[in-house]
Amino acid sequence: MATTTATITLSSADIQSDVLALTKQATLNKAGTTTGLDQTTGLNKIIFTSVSAITLIPETAAGLNKAAKVYIANKSTDASEFVTITIHAQKIGKLYAGDWMFIPWSQIDGNDLKLTPSVATALPVEYMMIHEGITTA
Amino acid sequence: MATTTAQLVITSTDLLSDTLSLSAIATLTNSGSATGVTQTTGLSRTKTESNSQYTLYHGEVASFPFASQDQAAKIYIKNLSTTAAEFITIHINSEELGRLYAGDWAFIPWSVAADTSDIKITPSVTSALTIEHMVFFES
Repeated sequence: MATTTATITLSSADIQSDVLALTKQATLNKAGTTTGLDQTTGLNKIIFTSVSAITLIPETAAGLNKAAKVYIANKSTDASEFVTITIHAQKIGKLYAGDWMFIPWSQIDGNDLKLTPSVATALPVEYMMIHEGITTA
Repeated sequence: MATTTAQLVITSTDLLSDTLSLSAIATLTNSGSATGVTQTTGLSRTKTESNSQYTLYHGEVASFPFASQDQAAKIYIKNLSTTAAEFITIHINSEELGRLYAGDWAFIPWSVAADTSDIKITPSVTSALTIEHMVFFES
């Protein structure tokens, strides 16, 4: 069993009158257990040169409702460049330059994880899934 | 303008044969600019005692006073349960995103659009289950 942790730190001295300094760590486990996730896509980097939507990670029946965590980061340094993240036909949100997301993903049938770049000039994106339940024959 | 940062660190010494030590830091800015987001719901704590679906955040301008819809927003949600089997299922509108098991957290970009982007949670148990949550958004 592997041990993988994901830690988030949210900080701000001035978004509100109380200083924000929140740090939380999660140990990434298989669904409903204390056994660590043991599979990963590895850290991928793709440089997009089209504004067409692409399937970043296709869902798989073997992953349905099992534990999976997805990290996506827009590595552009141009503030106006973003990627739009959707699942099936539902828009989730936009990642602007430097933004990242870390989400659980149920892999419901048809709910591929898709990404649409805002520009056709080279836009770099990194992504990784850490998961259980996908074993190819 | 405020300066708010979100840092992610993912580490593992045994998931792969190479040590994983990934760090990403984002400064939370308004859409398409370098100006920091200035509004937040503050850190909230919600205790549920039903496995019915709850709307955690209504995706409407009345709730989030954006100048227009579809601007920059980020949501933090954490399941504070310590019982491994307990989870919450997150939906955006009617689409299931995923499940947060005990101790799990998520950081999600959110495109607000009236009536089509509500953030909903469904606890797996009817016993007390507590989550923490927060939204950062632009004006």
